[in-house]
Amino acid sequence: MILKKLLNLLVLSLLLIGCEKKEPLEGWELANKWSKMTLYLSKNTPANTPTYASRAIGYIGLTMYESVVKGFPGYASMEGQLNGLDGLPKIDTSFSYNWQLAFNAGQSEILRRIYMQTSDANKVKIDSLESLIDKNIETSDDAEFERSKKFGIDVAKAIFEWSKTDGGHRGYLHNFDKERNMDEFPGSWKPPLYAQSFSHHPLHPYWGENRTFLKVNSELEEPPYIAFNPKKGSAYYNQFLAVYDKERALTQAEKEAAIWWGDDPDETFTPPGHSFYLTSLAVKQRKPSLIEAAEVFAKVGMSVADAFINCWDWKYHFFSERPNTFISKYIDEEWESFWPDPPFPAFPSGHAIQAAAAATILGDVFKGAITIVDSSHFNRKRDDLRDVDFIPRTFNSFWEVALETADSRFYGGIHTPQDNAVGLEEGKRIANNVNQLTWKID
Amino acid sequence: MQPVLGQNKFTNVTASAGIHHKFQVLEGMFGGGACVFDFNNDGFEDVFITSGMNDDVLYKNNGDGTFTNVYIGSGLEKTKGFVTQGAVSADVNRDGFRDLLVTTITTKNENKVIPRASNMLFLNNGNGTFKDVSKEYGFHERQTFSTAASFGDFNADGFPDLYIGNYFNEFKGELNGISDATIVGANQIAEGNLLINVAGKYFKDVYKEYGLKHKGFGFGGVFTDFDNDGDQDLFVNHDFGYKRTPDLLLENKFPKKTFEDVAEKLHMNLKINSMGTAKGDYNNDGLMDYYMTNIRFNLFMVNRGKQGFENMTKPLGMYLFAISWGANFADFDHDGDEDLFVANGDLNPNCQPMTNFYFENNKGKFSELASQVGLNDYGIGRGSVVFDMDNDGDLDILVVNQVAVLNYPVESVTSLFRNDATKGNWSKIRLKGTQADLNGIGSKIELIVGGIKMIREVDGGASSHLSQNSVISHFGLGNATEIDTLRVYWTGGEIQELYHLKINELLTIEERFKEKKNYSYLFYVVFIFVFLGLAYFLYKKNARSMNS
Repeated sequence: MILKKLLNLLVLSLLLIGCEKKEPLEGWELANKWSKMTLYLSKNTPANTPTYASRAIGYIGLTMYESVVKGFPGYASMEGQLNGLDGLPKIDTSFSYNWQLAFNAGQSEILRRIYMQTSDANKVKIDSLESLIDKNIETSDDAEFERSKKFGIDVAKAIFEWSKTDGGHRGYLHNFDKERNMDEFPGSWKPPLYAQSFSHHPLHPYWGENRTFLKVNSELEEPPYIAFNPKKGSAYYNQFLAVYDKERALTQAEKEAAIWWGDDPDETFTPPGHSFYLTSLAVKQRKPSLIEAAEVFAKVGMSVADAFINCWDWKYHFFSERPNTFISKYIDEEWESFWPDPPFPAFPSGHAIQAAAAATILGDVFKGAITIVDSSHFNRKRDDLRDVDFIPRTFNSFWEVALETADSRFYGGIHTPQDNAVGLEEGKRIANNVNQLTWKID
Repeated sequence: MQPVLGQNKFTNVTASAGIHHKFQVLEGMFGGGACVFDFNNDGFEDVFITSGMNDDVLYKNNGDGTFTNVYIGSGLEKTKGFVTQGAVSADVNRDGFRDLLVTTITTKNENKVIPRASNMLFLNNGNGTFKDVSKEYGFHERQTFSTAASFGDFNADGFPDLYIGNYFNEFKGELNGISDATIVGANQIAEGNLLINVAGKYFKDVYKEYGLKHKGFGFGGVFTDFDNDGDQDLFVNHDFGYKRTPDLLLENKFPKKTFEDVAEKLHMNLKINSMGTAKGDYNNDGLMDYYMTNIRFNLFMVNRGKQGFENMTKPLGMYLFAISWGANFADFDHDGDEDLFVANGDLNPNCQPMTNFYFENNKGKFSELASQVGLNDYGIGRGSVVFDMDNDGDLDILVVNQVAVLNYPVESVTSLFRNDATKGNWSKIRLKGTQADLNGIGSKIELIVGGIKMIREVDGGASSHLSQNSVISHFGLGNATEIDTLRVYWTGGEIQELYHLKINELLTIEERFKEKKNYSYLFYVVFIFVFLGLAYFLYKKNARSMNS
């Protein structure tokens, strides 16, 4: 009996020792844990939209970077470089900081604030992740612990305060403006009949007026748009004819691409979330340091957010129709797109512009050959209605990802070639502006 | 049976009949519907019509082709405070007067962050007025965004039960405790309400008890006996079935207290924007067929018995583009088969005119003839009902139209179309249940004339869209001179047969009263036998031990 008690005591002691043992995280692992939480919240918070998700990853990525940048000489803060971002907290150089703790606290704080509309259960998940990570971070003393955490929280609070004035704060409460009268003219957008959303009002009509992260990104000129002309053989007509012809000859592989990149905000982390997810795949593969990982998430987040603001500005400027409207009127009344219409105008493609922005950043940060296996929708229930499975995608460059993202909307029958081509081009331009910020100090 | 007419003619009598109704939306596409019921038992069927943001109307049928709105003073004015959607009627307490349930989405004159409200039940006082009993019957417990309601007696106890479709989820919280999380969670898919009528006293929600767990963008459901097993099954309409919950076909496993979803097995899990259902037996094969309204192309699902349902929209000539809501099967031209009316209308606020459909049944093939027969109304159609407004033996049509929020090229008001050209013979049959529902709701009538077997189910509502047709079953008889056989399949399983009945008149069939079999005495008999056996065994055992 005594022996048994001793054995129990031994097991208990071992367990306690085991519990106490720290399992330090690499910098990239820490960043990826929070990117995963961001995507979880995006997917599991009602009234999710690609617009709000793009904004969320912009501020979350920036907080990653600003919560640690002062600990890494050679890296420059975005303070003073972005559109009105100043007054960020300073560090006290006479004391030491643990930058993983600051990062951890900053992420927890910004997620709780940006996703204040999420459920209480999800807020507990944020707290739990922060607490779990804290336990695994080595720190020299309690004062450093408190100081580091406070700095991360203060940075998050400051960025959140700045975010409140951008025009998208609590944007989920105003997804659809029911009072807004929609313009009607030849070629104008019409509420979809085969729709992704129950709303017949277009999503976030004023999103294009939001403040961009980079001032230069708000000064881009409107891209050219082919003028409406329903005449058979016209350039405009041919845009839609191409969609029509493609839909009637879709291969199974194209159908797989169409559903993979659907990223319906009611069921997934949205297209901007998909770009954040792809960033995490690259980070996992290249294993950058904490500051490098934070930098790439900040760049991708802000470029995707700015891409969406510009995209929405142009969508509502041109207020252009979807193929479902034009084709059923001028080509084939019975035609229906492979994928349902989202509730906003067509030109340019939001999928294309944000995918191009992300690919431009990722290609610049992670140079050299790379193979990306996107398994984000693996194991999802197959699409019985369209008789298509969710098959993971493999790519040999980031730009390949962007191209398939854009093409998938063409396969889905909801974007014309010009929507995609212009989206890709403008996304690249917007991301290049982000790349050209001063990230490193010589 | 030979068709009597090559063509029908309907006359728009809205103005001359005194109908001045406009359904005003709160926002978007929701509402409205009409309910046909003879609330004053004068033999002329009256109509209640919901009006959304406007005041509802109760049109008393004057019997001379005109109607008078008697809403004010009827006791129904309490609906003024609500944005009403659909209406349905049954004799909830079996007192001989039809009561009224009005579905709502929210209250008026309040800018609620989360719009929800109680549905409203009114008992008919029997003197032309109604009493609001929503609270006493348990409706105040549920703050819902409700669309269509349907009465049906799914437990076959003679008291009409309810299924109510809800579009957005119920809000149970306190208004002062609304957070961003509550708001963003508000417009998620909703459970319906399956409510058992407890002896006419109140309604109890048995959704979970009966095995229902679905959530969807609900547009209600119709009670119907699709498998001819004598109980009431339920077909549920869901909007956005292609990305959320599709339509459901719930087989009633009566006497077990459960419904089983057989939609997938029988090919009725329709993944469409399912707005409403019309039920009828278009080919007189004894099986109920169903026409579901949708955005773009509607679906006509033909009942193939155990093989399930087959989409026959295209082969039968019904594949036409529209945005459809109400739909009603009826033999408008009295040629012995059911034709189909469909109410079409665009989605507010941006609306393009689109006319209704009138599908004339020509020996199992349909021809769309709305403009030829005078039904090419370009109003923004929603619910539609059929009833015999002038008791001339044929069925007339009322279509609820929404007012256009923005500019619209024609007036969009509720319209009444009188059926003026039908000359064939007919029969109208009113059921009077003694153990089944008092108005026969859910029961089925089979009528055999010249070897042709026609069936009708007594409509309990949510048929068409947010509406309820007349509970008087109507049959077109062509040149037939008598009804050979009339068979009533009463809810609960009783079958009643009558022979050689007169035509061209309203027949009232009263359910034969049968003593319900009471098996409780069996328990006592068995108990006594067991008790005696046990006593004998103990006695013998005792005797043996005494002897030893």
